[in-house]
Amino acid sequence: MLVPYAANVDVEALLDADAAPWRSTAPETIAMMGTPVGLQPTGAIRAAWTGKKIGAVERITVAALHTGSALAFRLEWADPTENRDLTDTTSFADAAAVLLPSTPASVAMTMGAPTAPVNAWYWRSDADGGRHVIGEGIGASRTIDVELVRARGVWKEGRWQVVIARALRIDTKEPVAQLEVGAKTGFAVAVWDGANSERGGIKAFSGDWRELVLDATKLARG
Amino acid sequence: MGEVKRQLAMVMDLNKCIGCQTCTISCKRLWTRDEGMEYMWWNSVNTMPGLGTPKDWEQMGGGFRDGQPNASRIPTRKEFGDAWEFNHEEVFFGGKGSEAHLQVKGEQPEWGPNWDEDQGAGEYPNGYYFYLPRICNHCTHPACLEACPRQAIEKREQDGIVLINEDRCRGYRFCMEACPYKKIYWNHVQKVAQKCIFCFPRIEQGVANACARQCPGRVRFVGYRDDQNGPIWKLVDKYKVALPLHSEFGTEPNVFYVPPLAPPRFDANGEIDENQPRIPNEYLVSLFGPRVLEVLATLKGEMTKTRAGQKSEVLDILIAYKWKDMFGGFDRDPASIEWKKT
Repeated sequence: MLVPYAANVDVEALLDADAAPWRSTAPETIAMMGTPVGLQPTGAIRAAWTGKKIGAVERITVAALHTGSALAFRLEWADPTENRDLTDTTSFADAAAVLLPSTPASVAMTMGAPTAPVNAWYWRSDADGGRHVIGEGIGASRTIDVELVRARGVWKEGRWQVVIARALRIDTKEPVAQLEVGAKTGFAVAVWDGANSERGGIKAFSGDWRELVLDATKLARG
Repeated sequence: MGEVKRQLAMVMDLNKCIGCQTCTISCKRLWTRDEGMEYMWWNSVNTMPGLGTPKDWEQMGGGFRDGQPNASRIPTRKEFGDAWEFNHEEVFFGGKGSEAHLQVKGEQPEWGPNWDEDQGAGEYPNGYYFYLPRICNHCTHPACLEACPRQAIEKREQDGIVLINEDRCRGYRFCMEACPYKKIYWNHVQKVAQKCIFCFPRIEQGVANACARQCPGRVRFVGYRDDQNGPIWKLVDKYKVALPLHSEFGTEPNVFYVPPLAPPRFDANGEIDENQPRIPNEYLVSLFGPRVLEVLATLKGEMTKTRAGQKSEVLDILIAYKWKDMFGGFDRDPASIEWKKT
């Protein structure tokens, strides 16, 4: 995916999935697959999910824009139910995340490794904010902050529209993805359907890294 | 997780439980008063036979079968019994005390945390029931801990208490699904799973659990499993009169029960029939395993001994002549401590 360069655009404005720059950005449709039950990190989860549908969301459209200093992804998918309310013990939230490699050797399918982490930009409907996560293997993810990733989701007419954004570069010792205009990297996406009790490793994902290049050519404004 | 060096445990003598819920309330007032915890009863007491809380939990699966995790499900708030809201304002402060009666507001509940209290089973004149108090079993093989994909549950090395680390918990609730005793709750405000903490802040100060210390019936013994001077080792290992509940769930609970004796049955002529147990053996076996019959025989034997004027150490322990002897050294007075909220 070649990410257009929307110069002079405030990343906060891009959190609105209806913002003008998104209208002129062509999305890519990505087929999603459920995570394999055999890769779930605990026996109880494998026992609970054997024979059940994992990954209720089967396709997603992804658009992306960068402002020269920040990168925003706009995810959209069909979901007949808006699951934001977690009042009952059996209610789970809809959620989505963009995954980026923190190192050239990072593997998406295993959610990174201690020596080659991955960096997730995560949004969950009940909090409707971003979460900055480092993955160092299946079942080994940790939140490093809840400020740097900006995210907002709107559900209407049976569809989620979610924008997830972050600054290209972060001043931190944590193994986050540091992005550069013009350089080639990869991305993956994941979606959790709360109505299907999806949480943790029970999710739909896009598979191996897909190419991501932040275009160096500035778009004309408007 | 390191090796558990010692294990704290509890023995509850079901022959002494009067179902007063003082344990339940002492726990509630100490630990589950915050928003999101309204429906939680880390300690509960239900009537057996009965469906309890969450409703019909014994049939929900979970734990291990043949050593492998056994599928289950998360009970709903309604099944737990939820937290009913009452019209206190109207009755107590609305000037309508003589007309309005206390009732549940809104949708009328179909289950509660103690809905089938005192129903029991059997036909007159041979009806029977007993009370079963329950807390987290702080299992040796905790299904919750093994189910969590985030290593958010730990079993403490020093005392085997099983705790949920709320900083690591992301509210996935695989633990609630896996626990066969259904003693883990979902806090929808904090968005974490919560459960009995075996009163570890009290234990660390030498004070027994609130449920145990507050019990008017002297039902609950506390202490280390391996403390040969304490009540747990004596009741579980030396005299073998305390058994885990549903050991077939495979989690190796560290709460043990002295099973309930009951009066004999009446026969068709209304005569006492000493040969027929009031509580069917098969029912007790279904709860406590086949050894329960040996335990009941031991208890009856000890009672016969004392009737003949002999001493019985095991009955002396169960009677708990000295209240403090029940707490395996955790007998410090909590009022003597300046508690700080951290």
